[in-house]
Amino acid sequence: MNHTFTLPNSGHNYDAKASKLGMWLFLYTELLLFGGLFLVYMVYRSLNEEAFLLASFNLDVWMGTFNTVVLLTSSMTVAMSITALQLGDAKKSIMLLWLTIAAALIFLVVKYFEWGAKFEHGLFPGMDHFNTLPPGERLYFYLYFFMTGLHGLHVIVGGIFIGVVIKKIKNKSVNKNRYQLLENSGLYWHLVDLIWIYLFPLFYLIH
Amino acid sequence: MSNKDHNSEPHAEHISSYREHFGTWVGLILLTMMTVFISVFGADLRTLSVATALLIASVKALVVGYYFMHLKYDPAIYRIMMGIVMALFTVFLVMVIFDYLTRN
Amino acid sequence: MSETAAMPLNYLNVKKGIWSWLFTLDHKRIALLYLYSIGAFFLVGVVLGVVMRLELFNPGRDIIEPQTYNQVFTLHGVIMIFLFIIPSIPAVFGNFFLPIMLGTDDVAFPRLNLFSWYLYIIGALFALSTLIYGNGPADTGWTFYAPYSVKTGTNVSMSVLAAFILGFSSILTGLNFIVTIHRLRTPGMTFNKMPLFSWALYATSWIQVLATPVIGITLMMIIAERMFGVGLFDPSIGGDPILYQHLFWIYSHPAVYIMALPAMGVVSEIIPTFAQRSIFGYKPIAYSSMAIAFVGYFVWGHHMFTSGMSGAAAIVFSILTFLVAIPTAIKVFNWVATLYKGSIDIQVPLLYALAFIFNFLIGGLTGLVLGALVVDVHVHDTYFVVGHFHYVMFGGTGFAFFGALHYWFPKIWGKMYNKTRANLAFALLFIGFNTLYFPMLVLGIMGMPRRYYDYLPEFHSLNQISTVGSWILVVGLLLMIFNLVAGYLKGQKVGGNPWNGITLEWQTDSPPPLHNFDKMPELPAGGPYNYPNAKSE
Repeated sequence: MNHTFTLPNSGHNYDAKASKLGMWLFLYTELLLFGGLFLVYMVYRSLNEEAFLLASFNLDVWMGTFNTVVLLTSSMTVAMSITALQLGDAKKSIMLLWLTIAAALIFLVVKYFEWGAKFEHGLFPGMDHFNTLPPGERLYFYLYFFMTGLHGLHVIVGGIFIGVVIKKIKNKSVNKNRYQLLENSGLYWHLVDLIWIYLFPLFYLIH
Repeated sequence: MSNKDHNSEPHAEHISSYREHFGTWVGLILLTMMTVFISVFGADLRTLSVATALLIASVKALVVGYYFMHLKYDPAIYRIMMGIVMALFTVFLVMVIFDYLTRN
Repeated sequence: MSETAAMPLNYLNVKKGIWSWLFTLDHKRIALLYLYSIGAFFLVGVVLGVVMRLELFNPGRDIIEPQTYNQVFTLHGVIMIFLFIIPSIPAVFGNFFLPIMLGTDDVAFPRLNLFSWYLYIIGALFALSTLIYGNGPADTGWTFYAPYSVKTGTNVSMSVLAAFILGFSSILTGLNFIVTIHRLRTPGMTFNKMPLFSWALYATSWIQVLATPVIGITLMMIIAERMFGVGLFDPSIGGDPILYQHLFWIYSHPAVYIMALPAMGVVSEIIPTFAQRSIFGYKPIAYSSMAIAFVGYFVWGHHMFTSGMSGAAAIVFSILTFLVAIPTAIKVFNWVATLYKGSIDIQVPLLYALAFIFNFLIGGLTGLVLGALVVDVHVHDTYFVVGHFHYVMFGGTGFAFFGALHYWFPKIWGKMYNKTRANLAFALLFIGFNTLYFPMLVLGIMGMPRRYYDYLPEFHSLNQISTVGSWILVVGLLLMIFNLVAGYLKGQKVGGNPWNGITLEWQTDSPPPLHNFDKMPELPAGGPYNYPNAKSE
């Protein structure tokens, strides 16, 4: 019996195309996860158009715009870090990834202040002032907190993912010839950006 | 969704240039400025402004997908699958809203 | 197992000890981990089902309180759907045989595969933990309809969290299979030369990946509503329960095809092997799997015909529902046509496959009855529905699962069970099954509502027949399990190809070696089911 025989199409080989395909499939699940929420948003907004409009005035457009710019910039830095690694410049790649993580932190800090302001105004679900709001406005805030909260969670996960990749570039297990993990973390980060691209107009810009 | 065989496709890894990424970023920022501007200063447009906001968001999403996420340079199968997923989701939205609009 | 020392090295004896199982990356061992855990939870589900049937033996209270009854049918549903049927065939036989049938040595992401199993176990423990922790298991029905699921005092949050985790496990299995099919087929095997079981799993996996997230987010909304008062579905604060139903069925109807398609794949394997004949209509069977998966996404509204849906919307959903019958019927015709003029060898797996066709036919046709608007309004939420989906799920998928177990048993363990006893067990299961569920169809037409603890006296005799059927079924089940365990312990050893199959799994040893093949597998000339000795037409 020949125990040294291995198939050419082994599942234990490194296969960049397989992990890329797997990552995309995972992104589809993420899109549909948020898709369910966008569906809820669509229905409730169509049923409570006026209330959603009124409630949206409680959000600060400029903070939202600032965060949009931050996320778009971080998307660029992570895309550039892939270019850098492909060209063999690991140092530059790591620097660009740190910039991405920094952007993630800025985004979260701004979000913290935004949520904090809602808290102060009693606009958090369950607070006294919140309970006096008409149902439509409450729905708006439920969705606002649920969707931006879940998105914030993805920002954190994406940041951790990128941190792991930085470590792997440092110990050279992710390198010029083997950079699929970096590309996957980039894809995930772009997805976080993509979702924000829709959250921003739907919550901040509907008036 | 029948024959997705890309074992045979050439392994052409396209390396995007820094310049291309920066250009993409400039485009995205401009689109963001545009949508904020329309929303803040064009309040009397109302429903029109929501539609434009979503349209601009979709353009931005396409730009991110095509350039940052590399779809433009990937094998066609990735664009096709993405198209199918988005079409599926759109049908969900359409059918649910159709049910709501026809209820009394 | 002292005799294994004399056997050549295979995946079962290459390493020993509990850790070699719990940390294995071998798809075959992971498949067996799934088999044992799924089997265990299936038995729990069966016990709960029997308890319900005993309670319904007479009208009024027999053995349990009404509240307990509500919890029993909910837990029965949650276990059978999320812990048994959805993972059953893909996670056990898909995991074991997909890589072998494609001529590779593992799935694309072996670690992810093991992780899926752990997620499954965690989800299962969460689901069962409601028995001892919190205010008892949920009493909402497995559908967790809002607003009741938000208001009830029972431990809905934990059940829902369990379903969420199990969904995640299911997504990862599907993702793994899709990538495996795309990337790891043996050289020369194009999509159209894959065995039909792989096609069925491919279609199933797409549903798992693209539908499960929707239920994930919906269940998260239920948890958020219960824990943080995020009232998205509570009408008293503006939410809309109808929207919950939409979201729930956007997943849960396609999920029905997650359950049914792999079963059809199994039948498509068994029938050509025991007819020793090329499958009739390979491409129609393969593509109809994709068609079912695709159309299956757009029919969820037929669960909501009585929720105040407009006639226009209901007609659209009804038409789409009828469309699903076309690819399904295509499969049935092709299976039957494959048998025609074949060299039929009536063995236990074939019996299960034929039982699948019989039961699934009843299940499918009653499904059309339910998809028709006029009738649905009358039989909605009656025992007709219960009978219908048990015919599809148990009579269909359950029997296909047993068929797959008997078909691939010699390959998995390299031994054979006692065929006479297996035939007897099959007969008991088939008779018991039909005695149990056929009366439900009649009861439903007569107007007996589902999920009720009590019933009117005129339903008495049919309920008793049904309960007696459940006893026959359980005896058959126990006999089958006993027979398989006995076969595992001291069954006769068999060679690599006891059934004369020609798909790739029959080219390797039984049990397969650790890396599945010791030499390059050879594709059968002229297609995956081209039997060399088949009678010409």
